[in-house]
Amino acid sequence: MASSSSSAAMRELQRELETKANDLSKLQKDISKNHQVRKKYTIQLGENELVLKELDLLREDANVFKLIGPVLVKQDLAEANANVRKRIDYISAELKRLDATLQDLEEKQNSKKEAVFKLQQKIQALQPGKAKA
Amino acid sequence: MQEPVKGTVTPLASLFPPEEAQKASKRVQDALADRQSELDRLQGFIADNTALVNLVQRLPDELHHDIMVPFGKAAFFPGRLVHTNEFLVLLGEGYYAERTSKQTVEILDRRGKALESQVDSLKAMMKDLKAEVSFFDATAAEAVEGLVEIREDYVEESSSERVIERGPPKPDSPRFSGEDSMKVAAEDEEYARMMLRFDELEKEELAAGSGDEHDEDEHNEADVDHSLSQLSGDHVLGSLEERQVRKPLHHSKDEYATTEELLSKQHFEEDFANQLKSKIQLEGLKEQSVPKDSDDVSHGKSFANRATQSSSHGKDNIQALPTSKAETSVQSSKPATDSLKAFTGSIVEHTRNIQMNPREQAASSSQSSGSQPTKPVSRFKMQRR
Repeated sequence: MASSSSSAAMRELQRELETKANDLSKLQKDISKNHQVRKKYTIQLGENELVLKELDLLREDANVFKLIGPVLVKQDLAEANANVRKRIDYISAELKRLDATLQDLEEKQNSKKEAVFKLQQKIQALQPGKAKA
Repeated sequence: MQEPVKGTVTPLASLFPPEEAQKASKRVQDALADRQSELDRLQGFIADNTALVNLVQRLPDELHHDIMVPFGKAAFFPGRLVHTNEFLVLLGEGYYAERTSKQTVEILDRRGKALESQVDSLKAMMKDLKAEVSFFDATAAEAVEGLVEIREDYVEESSSERVIERGPPKPDSPRFSGEDSMKVAAEDEEYARMMLRFDELEKEELAAGSGDEHDEDEHNEADVDHSLSQLSGDHVLGSLEERQVRKPLHHSKDEYATTEELLSKQHFEEDFANQLKSKIQLEGLKEQSVPKDSDDVSHGKSFANRATQSSSHGKDNIQALPTSKAETSVQSSKPATDSLKAFTGSIVEHTRNIQMNPREQAASSSQSSGSQPTKPVSRFKMQRR
Protein backbone atom coordinates (compact mmCIF):
# COMPACT_ATOMS: atom_id res chain seq x y z
CA MET A 1 0.00 0.00 0.00
CA ALA A 2 2.55 2.45 1.20
CA SER A 3 4.90 1.57 -1.58
CA SER A 4 2.30 2.10 -4.29
CA SER A 5 1.30 5.52 -2.91
CA SER A 6 4.92 6.54 -2.56
CA SER A 7 5.66 5.38 -6.07
CA ALA A 8 2.75 7.47 -7.32
CA ALA A 9 4.15 10.48 -5.50
CA MET A 10 7.49 9.60 -6.96
CA ARG A 11 6.11 9.62 -10.49
CA GLU A 12 4.43 12.93 -9.80
CA LEU A 13 7.66 14.42 -8.55
CA GLN A 14 9.60 13.07 -11.44
CA ARG A 15 7.21 14.61 -13.93
CA GLU A 16 7.47 17.92 -12.13
CA LEU A 17 11.21 17.69 -12.20
CA GLU A 18 11.18 17.06 -15.90
CA THR A 19 9.08 20.11 -16.67
CA LYS A 20 11.21 22.25 -14.43
CA ALA A 21 14.37 20.98 -16.05
CA ASN A 22 12.91 21.77 -19.45
CA ASP A 23 12.09 25.29 -18.34
CA LEU A 24 15.57 25.69 -17.01
CA SER A 25 17.23 24.57 -20.22
CA LYS A 26 14.98 26.93 -22.16
CA LEU A 27 16.07 29.80 -19.93
CA GLN A 28 19.67 28.87 -20.41
CA LYS A 29 19.21 28.86 -24.14
CA ASP A 30 17.68 32.33 -23.94
CA ILE A 31 20.58 33.55 -21.92
CA SER A 32 23.14 32.23 -24.35
CA LYS A 33 21.19 33.81 -27.21
CA ASN A 34 21.19 37.06 -25.31
CA HIS A 35 24.93 36.78 -24.90
CA GLN A 36 25.43 36.28 -28.62
CA VAL A 37 23.27 39.24 -29.54
CA ARG A 38 25.06 41.35 -27.01
CA LYS A 39 28.41 40.37 -28.41
CA LYS A 40 27.26 41.37 -31.88
CA TYR A 41 26.04 44.74 -30.65
CA THR A 42 29.23 45.37 -28.73
CA ILE A 43 31.26 44.76 -31.85
CA GLN A 44 29.02 47.09 -33.85
CA LEU A 45 29.32 49.73 -31.20
CA GLY A 46 33.10 49.53 -31.36
CA GLU A 47 33.02 49.81 -35.15
CA ASN A 48 30.70 52.78 -35.03
CA GLU A 49 32.86 54.54 -32.54
CA LEU A 50 35.84 53.97 -34.80
CA VAL A 51 33.89 55.43 -37.74
CA LEU A 52 32.84 58.41 -35.70
CA LYS A 53 36.42 59.05 -34.69
CA GLU A 54 37.54 58.94 -38.32
CA LEU A 55 34.67 61.15 -39.45
CA ASP A 56 35.59 63.68 -36.81
CA LEU A 57 39.11 63.74 -38.17
CA LEU A 58 37.95 64.40 -41.75
CA ARG A 59 38.02 67.89 -43.14
CA GLU A 60 34.75 69.62 -44.03
CA ASP A 61 35.23 69.26 -47.77
CA ALA A 62 36.00 65.55 -47.74
CA ASN A 63 33.83 63.29 -49.83
CA VAL A 64 31.98 60.67 -47.83
CA PHE A 65 30.03 57.82 -49.34
CA LYS A 66 27.69 55.30 -47.88
CA LEU A 67 27.34 51.86 -49.34
CA ILE A 68 23.66 51.18 -49.77
CA GLY A 69 23.13 47.81 -51.38
CA PRO A 70 25.36 47.70 -54.45
CA VAL A 71 25.81 51.46 -54.86
CA LEU A 72 27.90 54.07 -53.16
CA VAL A 73 25.79 57.11 -52.36
CA LYS A 74 27.49 60.38 -51.73
CA GLN A 75 26.66 61.79 -48.36
CA ASP A 76 27.15 65.04 -46.60
CA LEU A 77 29.81 64.79 -43.90
CA ALA A 78 27.53 66.37 -41.32
CA GLU A 79 24.74 64.03 -42.28
CA ALA A 80 26.99 60.99 -42.03
CA ASN A 81 28.24 62.19 -38.68
CA ALA A 82 24.71 62.62 -37.36
CA ASN A 83 23.74 59.20 -38.68
CA VAL A 84 26.62 57.50 -36.96
CA ARG A 85 25.88 59.26 -33.71
CA LYS A 86 22.27 58.22 -33.89
CA ARG A 87 23.34 54.68 -34.56
CA ILE A 88 25.65 54.69 -31.55
CA ASP A 89 22.85 55.98 -29.35
CA TYR A 90 20.56 53.29 -30.63
CA ILE A 91 23.09 50.54 -30.03
CA SER A 92 23.85 51.75 -26.53
CA ALA A 93 20.16 51.80 -25.70
CA GLU A 94 19.81 48.33 -27.12
CA LEU A 95 22.75 47.10 -25.06
CA LYS A 96 21.18 48.54 -21.94
CA ARG A 97 17.92 46.82 -22.72
CA LEU A 98 19.73 43.54 -23.26
CA ASP A 99 21.49 43.92 -19.95
CA ALA A 100 18.20 44.37 -18.18
CA THR A 101 16.67 41.31 -19.82
CA LEU A 102 19.79 39.32 -19.07
CA GLN A 103 19.53 40.17 -15.41
CA ASP A 104 15.91 39.22 -15.41
CA LEU A 105 16.67 35.92 -17.09
CA GLU A 106 19.44 35.13 -14.68
CA GLU A 107 17.18 35.74 -11.72
CA LYS A 108 14.61 33.42 -13.22
CA GLN A 109 17.30 30.85 -13.88
CA ASN A 110 18.47 30.93 -10.31
CA SER A 111 15.00 30.46 -8.89
CA LYS A 112 14.40 27.60 -11.32
CA LYS A 113 17.67 26.01 -10.34
CA GLU A 114 16.69 26.16 -6.73
CA ALA A 115 13.33 24.58 -7.45
CA VAL A 116 14.98 21.77 -9.39
CA PHE A 117 17.42 21.20 -6.58
CA LYS A 118 14.62 20.99 -4.03
CA LEU A 119 12.75 18.50 -6.19
CA GLN A 120 15.84 16.37 -6.51
CA GLN A 121 16.25 16.36 -2.76
CA LYS A 122 12.63 15.32 -2.32
CA ILE A 123 13.08 12.46 -4.71
CA GLN A 124 16.23 11.37 -2.97
CA ALA A 125 14.45 11.47 0.37
CA LEU A 126 11.74 9.24 -1.05
CA GLN A 127 14.04 6.76 -2.71
CA PRO A 128 15.78 5.21 0.33
CA GLY A 129 12.40 4.82 2.03
CA LYS A 130 11.18 2.95 -1.01
CA ALA A 131 14.26 0.79 -1.04
CA LYS A 132 13.65 -0.20 2.56
CA ALA A 133 9.98 -0.90 2.07
CA MET B 1 39.44 13.44 21.99
CA GLN B 2 42.39 14.56 24.10
CA GLU B 3 42.46 18.11 25.31
CA PRO B 4 45.83 19.34 23.96
CA VAL B 5 44.92 18.54 20.38
CA LYS B 6 43.91 21.78 18.72
CA GLY B 7 43.96 21.30 15.00
CA THR B 8 41.97 19.59 12.35
CA VAL B 9 43.39 17.59 9.52
CA THR B 10 41.54 17.65 6.26
CA PRO B 11 42.81 15.80 3.27
CA LEU B 12 42.97 18.22 0.40
CA ALA B 13 41.39 15.62 -1.79
CA SER B 14 38.13 15.85 0.19
CA LEU B 15 37.97 19.60 -0.29
CA PHE B 16 38.98 19.58 -3.92
CA PRO B 17 38.53 16.19 -5.52
CA PRO B 18 41.30 15.65 -8.05
CA GLU B 19 38.86 14.97 -10.87
CA GLU B 20 37.06 18.22 -10.18
CA ALA B 21 40.28 20.16 -10.10
CA GLN B 22 41.34 18.57 -13.34
CA LYS B 23 37.99 19.37 -14.86
CA ALA B 24 38.33 22.97 -13.82
CA SER B 25 41.81 23.10 -15.23
CA LYS B 26 40.53 21.64 -18.49
CA ARG B 27 37.83 24.26 -18.74
CA VAL B 28 40.24 27.08 -18.15
CA GLN B 29 42.57 25.59 -20.68
CA ASP B 30 39.75 25.57 -23.22
CA ALA B 31 39.10 29.20 -22.52
CA LEU B 32 42.79 29.82 -22.92
CA ALA B 33 42.77 28.08 -26.31
CA ASP B 34 39.87 30.30 -27.38
CA ARG B 35 41.82 33.36 -26.41
CA GLN B 36 44.84 32.03 -28.23
CA SER B 37 42.92 31.61 -31.48
CA GLU B 38 41.50 35.09 -31.04
CA LEU B 39 45.01 36.38 -30.52
CA ASP B 40 46.16 34.64 -33.69
CA ARG B 41 43.31 36.24 -35.59
CA LEU B 42 44.26 39.66 -34.32
CA GLN B 43 47.90 39.07 -35.18
CA GLY B 44 46.76 38.19 -38.69
CA PHE B 45 44.85 41.48 -38.87
CA ILE B 46 47.88 43.37 -37.75
CA ALA B 47 50.04 41.69 -40.39
CA ASP B 48 47.43 42.52 -43.05
CA ASN B 49 47.29 46.07 -41.86
CA THR B 50 51.04 46.61 -42.03
CA ALA B 51 51.18 45.03 -45.48
CA LEU B 52 48.41 47.35 -46.60
CA VAL B 53 50.22 50.34 -45.18
CA ASN B 54 53.30 49.40 -47.15
CA LEU B 55 51.30 49.03 -50.36
CA VAL B 56 49.44 52.30 -49.89
CA GLN B 57 52.67 54.11 -49.23
CA ARG B 58 54.22 52.71 -52.40
CA LEU B 59 51.33 53.25 -54.80
CA PRO B 60 51.66 56.99 -55.39
CA ASP B 61 55.34 56.57 -56.22
CA GLU B 62 54.33 55.96 -59.83
CA LEU B 63 51.82 57.79 -61.98
CA HIS B 64 50.29 54.46 -63.00
CA HIS B 65 50.74 50.76 -62.37
CA ASP B 66 50.24 47.89 -64.75
CA ILE B 67 48.17 45.28 -62.98
CA MET B 68 46.03 42.25 -63.60
CA VAL B 69 42.44 43.11 -62.85
CA PRO B 70 40.36 40.29 -61.37
CA PHE B 71 37.30 39.62 -63.49
CA GLY B 72 34.82 37.26 -61.92
CA LYS B 73 36.18 34.43 -59.88
CA ALA B 74 38.65 32.84 -62.19
CA ALA B 75 39.63 35.37 -64.82
CA PHE B 76 42.03 38.28 -64.94
CA PHE B 77 42.75 40.79 -67.63
CA PRO B 78 45.58 43.24 -67.90
CA GLY B 79 44.83 46.77 -66.78
CA ARG B 80 46.38 49.89 -65.51
CA LEU B 81 45.98 51.70 -62.19
CA VAL B 82 45.72 55.44 -62.59
CA HIS B 83 44.95 58.15 -60.01
CA THR B 84 47.37 56.43 -57.70
CA ASN B 85 46.90 58.98 -54.96
CA GLU B 86 43.15 58.63 -54.61
CA PHE B 87 41.77 56.08 -52.20
CA LEU B 88 38.27 55.24 -51.16
CA VAL B 89 38.67 54.03 -47.63
CA LEU B 90 36.07 51.95 -45.86
CA LEU B 91 35.63 53.44 -42.42
CA GLY B 92 33.23 50.76 -41.31
CA GLU B 93 29.45 50.43 -41.22
CA GLY B 94 29.28 51.05 -44.94
CA TYR B 95 30.86 54.47 -44.80
CA TYR B 96 33.60 55.33 -47.27
CA ALA B 97 35.74 58.40 -47.48
CA GLU B 98 37.91 59.72 -50.27
CA ARG B 99 41.46 60.05 -49.03
CA THR B 100 44.95 60.54 -50.29
CA SER B 101 47.68 58.00 -49.72
CA LYS B 102 49.07 59.88 -46.75
CA GLN B 103 45.70 60.29 -45.11
CA THR B 104 44.95 56.63 -45.71
CA VAL B 105 48.15 55.63 -44.02
CA GLU B 106 47.15 57.74 -41.04
CA ILE B 107 43.82 55.97 -40.82
CA LEU B 108 45.50 52.60 -41.09
CA ASP B 109 47.96 53.53 -38.39
CA ARG B 110 45.16 54.43 -36.05
CA ARG B 111 43.53 51.13 -36.83
CA GLY B 112 46.79 49.33 -36.10
CA LYS B 113 46.99 51.03 -32.74
CA ALA B 114 43.47 49.95 -31.87
CA LEU B 115 44.39 46.40 -32.83
CA GLU B 116 47.50 46.53 -30.72
CA SER B 117 45.62 47.66 -27.64
CA GLN B 118 43.24 44.76 -28.21
CA VAL B 119 46.18 42.38 -28.42
CA ASP B 120 47.59 43.77 -25.19
CA SER B 121 44.37 43.30 -23.28
CA LEU B 122 44.06 39.81 -24.71
CA LYS B 123 47.56 38.96 -23.61
CA ALA B 124 46.85 40.20 -20.09
CA MET B 125 43.76 38.00 -20.02
CA MET B 126 45.75 35.02 -21.20
CA LYS B 127 48.30 35.62 -18.48
CA ASP B 128 45.55 35.50 -15.89
CA LEU B 129 44.15 32.33 -17.38
CA LYS B 130 47.55 30.70 -17.42
CA ALA B 131 48.00 31.49 -13.75
CA GLU B 132 44.60 29.96 -13.12
CA VAL B 133 45.52 26.82 -15.04
CA SER B 134 48.73 26.37 -13.13
CA PHE B 135 46.85 26.88 -9.89
CA PHE B 136 44.27 24.25 -10.74
CA ASP B 137 46.95 21.86 -11.90
CA ALA B 138 48.89 22.35 -8.70
CA THR B 139 45.76 21.77 -6.66
CA ALA B 140 44.97 18.62 -8.58
CA ALA B 141 48.49 17.33 -8.16
CA GLU B 142 48.45 18.07 -4.45
CA ALA B 143 45.11 16.38 -4.02
CA VAL B 144 46.38 13.30 -5.82
CA GLU B 145 49.50 13.22 -3.69
CA GLY B 146 47.29 13.02 -0.61
CA LEU B 147 48.32 16.33 0.84
CA VAL B 148 46.46 17.15 4.03
CA GLU B 149 45.53 20.54 5.34
CA ILE B 150 46.32 21.05 9.02
CA ARG B 151 44.45 23.81 10.71
CA GLU B 152 44.73 24.96 14.25
CA ASP B 153 43.79 28.01 16.24
CA TYR B 154 46.54 30.43 16.92
CA VAL B 155 46.90 30.75 20.69
CA GLU B 156 49.34 33.13 22.33
CA GLU B 157 51.37 30.52 24.12
CA SER B 158 54.77 28.99 24.06
CA SER B 159 55.17 26.87 21.02
CA SER B 160 56.02 23.78 23.04
CA GLU B 161 52.41 23.45 24.10
CA ARG B 162 51.19 23.17 20.57
CA VAL B 163 50.63 19.69 19.34
CA ILE B 164 50.25 19.21 15.70
CA GLU B 165 47.92 16.48 14.90
CA ARG B 166 49.24 14.04 12.40
CA GLY B 167 48.21 10.66 11.17
CA PRO B 168 45.21 9.33 9.35
CA PRO B 169 42.73 12.02 8.33
CA LYS B 170 39.39 12.07 10.07
CA PRO B 171 36.77 13.30 7.70
CA ASP B 172 33.96 13.60 10.26
CA SER B 173 35.90 15.21 13.04
CA PRO B 174 33.71 16.97 15.60
CA ARG B 175 35.71 20.15 15.32
CA PHE B 176 34.92 20.39 11.67
CA SER B 177 32.16 22.87 12.45
CA GLY B 178 34.60 25.42 13.81
CA GLU B 179 36.52 25.25 10.62
CA ASP B 180 35.86 28.76 9.46
CA SER B 181 37.40 30.49 12.42
CA MET B 182 40.34 28.14 12.18
CA LYS B 183 40.66 28.97 8.56
CA VAL B 184 41.11 32.63 9.38
CA ALA B 185 43.70 31.84 12.01
CA ALA B 186 45.55 29.58 9.63
CA GLU B 187 45.54 32.28 7.00
CA ASP B 188 46.95 34.77 9.45
CA GLU B 189 49.71 32.41 10.32
CA GLU B 190 50.36 31.77 6.69
CA TYR B 191 50.60 35.49 6.10
CA ALA B 192 53.03 35.93 8.96
CA ARG B 193 55.18 33.15 7.59
CA MET B 194 55.12 34.70 4.18
CA MET B 195 56.15 38.06 5.56
CA LEU B 196 59.02 36.48 7.44
CA ARG B 197 60.20 34.80 4.29
CA PHE B 198 59.93 38.08 2.40
CA ASP B 199 62.02 39.75 5.05
CA GLU B 200 64.71 37.14 4.70
CA LEU B 201 64.75 37.47 0.97
CA GLU B 202 64.93 41.21 1.20
CA LYS B 203 67.88 40.95 3.52
CA GLU B 204 69.66 38.73 1.08
CA GLU B 205 68.92 41.11 -1.70
CA LEU B 206 70.20 43.94 0.38
CA ALA B 207 73.40 42.10 1.15
CA ALA B 208 73.89 41.35 -2.51
CA GLY B 209 73.20 44.85 -3.71
CA SER B 210 74.77 46.57 -0.73
CA GLY B 211 77.53 48.04 -2.85
CA ASP B 212 75.24 50.04 -5.08
CA GLU B 213 72.97 51.08 -2.32
CA HIS B 214 75.80 52.36 -0.28
CA ASP B 215 76.85 54.61 -3.03
CA GLU B 216 73.35 55.96 -3.37
CA ASP B 217 72.85 56.46 0.31
CA GLU B 218 76.21 57.99 0.76
CA HIS B 219 75.51 60.46 -1.97
CA ASN B 220 72.30 61.41 -0.25
CA GLU B 221 74.10 61.79 2.99
CA ALA B 222 76.86 63.70 1.35
CA ASP B 223 74.34 66.18 -0.01
CA VAL B 224 72.85 66.78 3.36
CA ASP B 225 76.20 67.08 4.97
CA HIS B 226 77.33 69.55 2.45
CA SER B 227 74.41 71.84 3.06
CA LEU B 228 74.47 71.51 6.81
CA SER B 229 78.07 71.84 7.73
CA GLN B 230 79.85 72.85 4.52
CA LEU B 231 81.83 69.68 4.50
CA SER B 232 83.03 68.49 1.16
CA GLY B 233 81.00 65.49 0.07
CA ASP B 234 84.01 63.73 -1.35
CA HIS B 235 85.91 64.05 1.84
CA VAL B 236 83.07 62.55 3.79
CA LEU B 237 82.77 59.75 1.37
CA GLY B 238 86.45 58.94 1.42
CA SER B 239 86.85 58.95 5.15
CA LEU B 240 83.68 57.03 5.60
CA GLU B 241 84.70 54.30 3.29
CA GLU B 242 88.10 53.98 4.87
CA ARG B 243 86.73 53.59 8.33
CA GLN B 244 84.11 51.22 7.15
CA VAL B 245 86.67 48.94 5.65
CA ARG B 246 88.96 49.07 8.60
CA LYS B 247 86.76 48.21 11.52
CA PRO B 248 83.12 47.64 10.83
CA LEU B 249 82.49 45.59 13.93
CA HIS B 250 83.90 48.21 16.19
CA HIS B 251 81.55 50.73 14.69
CA SER B 252 78.58 48.62 15.27
CA LYS B 253 79.48 48.31 18.94
CA ASP B 254 79.85 52.05 19.11
CA GLU B 255 76.52 52.57 17.64
CA TYR B 256 74.85 50.18 20.00
CA ALA B 257 76.18 52.20 22.83
CA THR B 258 74.79 55.29 21.19
CA THR B 259 71.39 53.78 20.78
CA GLU B 260 71.29 52.68 24.37
CA GLU B 261 71.95 56.16 25.46
CA LEU B 262 69.31 57.36 23.12
CA LEU B 263 66.80 55.05 24.56
CA SER B 264 67.57 55.98 28.12
CA LYS B 265 67.25 59.71 27.64
CA GLN B 266 65.30 60.80 24.67
CA HIS B 267 66.53 64.35 24.38
CA PHE B 268 70.15 63.59 24.67
CA GLU B 269 70.86 63.48 21.05
CA GLU B 270 69.56 66.96 20.39
CA ASP B 271 72.20 68.53 22.60
CA PHE B 272 74.67 66.09 21.27
CA ALA B 273 73.76 67.07 17.76
CA ASN B 274 74.08 70.73 18.47
CA GLN B 275 77.44 70.43 20.05
CA LEU B 276 79.10 67.97 17.75
CA LYS B 277 77.21 68.47 14.60
CA SER B 278 79.76 67.60 12.02
CA LYS B 279 81.25 64.81 14.02
CA ILE B 280 78.04 63.05 14.68
CA GLN B 281 77.12 63.35 11.08
CA LEU B 282 80.08 61.23 10.32
CA GLU B 283 79.03 58.87 13.03
CA GLY B 284 75.56 58.76 11.61
CA LEU B 285 76.94 57.94 8.22
CA LYS B 286 78.90 55.07 9.53
CA GLU B 287 76.10 53.81 11.59
CA GLN B 288 73.70 54.02 8.78
CA SER B 289 75.75 52.05 6.35
CA VAL B 290 77.49 49.61 8.61
CA PRO B 291 74.50 47.66 9.92
CA LYS B 292 73.45 46.95 6.40
CA ASP B 293 76.67 45.09 5.93
CA SER B 294 76.89 43.31 9.21
CA ASP B 295 73.18 42.90 9.49
CA ASP B 296 72.98 39.23 8.85
CA VAL B 297 75.97 38.40 10.96
CA SER B 298 75.63 40.55 13.99
CA HIS B 299 71.98 41.10 14.45
CA GLY B 300 71.36 37.68 15.91
CA LYS B 301 73.66 37.94 18.87
CA SER B 302 74.08 41.62 19.47
CA PHE B 303 70.45 42.51 19.27
CA ALA B 304 69.36 39.47 21.16
CA ASN B 305 69.43 41.20 24.50
CA ARG B 306 67.22 44.12 23.80
CA ALA B 307 65.62 43.28 20.55
CA THR B 308 63.81 40.18 21.69
CA GLN B 309 62.41 39.48 18.31
CA SER B 310 62.83 35.77 18.71
CA SER B 311 59.74 33.84 17.89
CA SER B 312 56.61 35.43 16.61
CA HIS B 313 56.14 37.96 13.89
CA GLY B 314 53.54 39.74 15.94
CA LYS B 315 56.18 40.64 18.47
CA ASP B 316 58.26 42.01 15.68
CA ASN B 317 55.51 44.36 14.74
CA ILE B 318 54.99 45.55 18.24
CA GLN B 319 58.64 46.13 18.56
CA ALA B 320 58.86 48.06 15.39
CA LEU B 321 56.19 50.50 16.42
CA PRO B 322 57.80 52.23 19.37
CA THR B 323 60.98 52.51 17.42
CA SER B 324 59.39 54.45 14.64
CA LYS B 325 57.67 56.65 17.18
CA ALA B 326 60.98 57.45 18.69
CA GLU B 327 62.18 58.33 15.26
CA THR B 328 59.43 60.77 14.63
CA SER B 329 60.03 62.39 17.96
CA VAL B 330 63.65 63.05 17.10
CA GLN B 331 63.08 63.85 13.47
CA SER B 332 64.68 67.23 13.84
CA SER B 333 68.16 65.88 14.34
CA LYS B 334 69.40 63.78 11.51
CA PRO B 335 72.15 61.82 13.26
CA ALA B 336 69.71 60.51 15.81
CA THR B 337 67.53 58.96 13.18
CA ASP B 338 70.53 57.40 11.64
CA SER B 339 71.73 55.83 14.81
CA LEU B 340 68.24 54.63 15.42
CA LYS B 341 68.34 53.11 12.03
CA ALA B 342 71.26 51.06 13.19
CA PHE B 343 69.04 49.69 15.87
CA THR B 344 66.16 48.97 13.54
CA GLY B 345 68.33 47.82 10.74
CA SER B 346 67.03 44.32 11.03
CA ILE B 347 63.41 45.27 10.86
CA VAL B 348 63.29 45.71 7.12
CA GLU B 349 61.20 47.55 4.59
CA HIS B 350 58.39 49.34 6.40
CA THR B 351 60.61 51.05 8.90
CA ARG B 352 63.20 51.81 6.32
CA ASN B 353 60.66 53.69 4.29
CA ILE B 354 59.83 55.79 7.26
CA GLN B 355 63.47 56.36 7.89
CA MET B 356 63.97 57.72 4.45
CA ASN B 357 61.49 60.41 5.28
CA PRO B 358 63.16 62.41 8.00
CA ARG B 359 66.30 62.55 5.99
CA GLU B 360 64.40 63.74 3.00
CA GLN B 361 62.68 66.36 5.03
CA ALA B 362 65.92 67.51 6.52
CA ALA B 363 67.39 67.80 3.07
CA SER B 364 64.45 69.69 1.64
CA SER B 365 64.16 72.03 4.59
CA SER B 366 67.82 72.88 4.64
CA GLN B 367 68.25 73.22 0.92
CA SER B 368 64.71 74.39 0.37
CA SER B 369 64.73 72.45 -2.85
CA GLY B 370 61.23 71.48 -3.82
CA SER B 371 62.40 68.47 -5.74
CA GLN B 372 62.48 66.16 -2.73
CA PRO B 373 59.21 64.37 -2.19
CA THR B 374 58.01 64.55 1.39
CA LYS B 375 55.58 61.70 1.19
CA PRO B 376 56.81 58.15 1.71
CA VAL B 377 58.92 56.99 -1.16
CA SER B 378 59.56 53.38 -1.87
CA ARG B 379 63.09 52.16 -1.58
CA PHE B 380 63.14 51.27 -5.23
CA LYS B 381 62.23 54.75 -6.24
CA MET B 382 64.95 56.09 -4.06
CA GLN B 383 67.48 53.94 -5.74
CA ARG B 384 66.56 55.09 -9.15
CA ARG B 385 67.53 58.66 -8.50
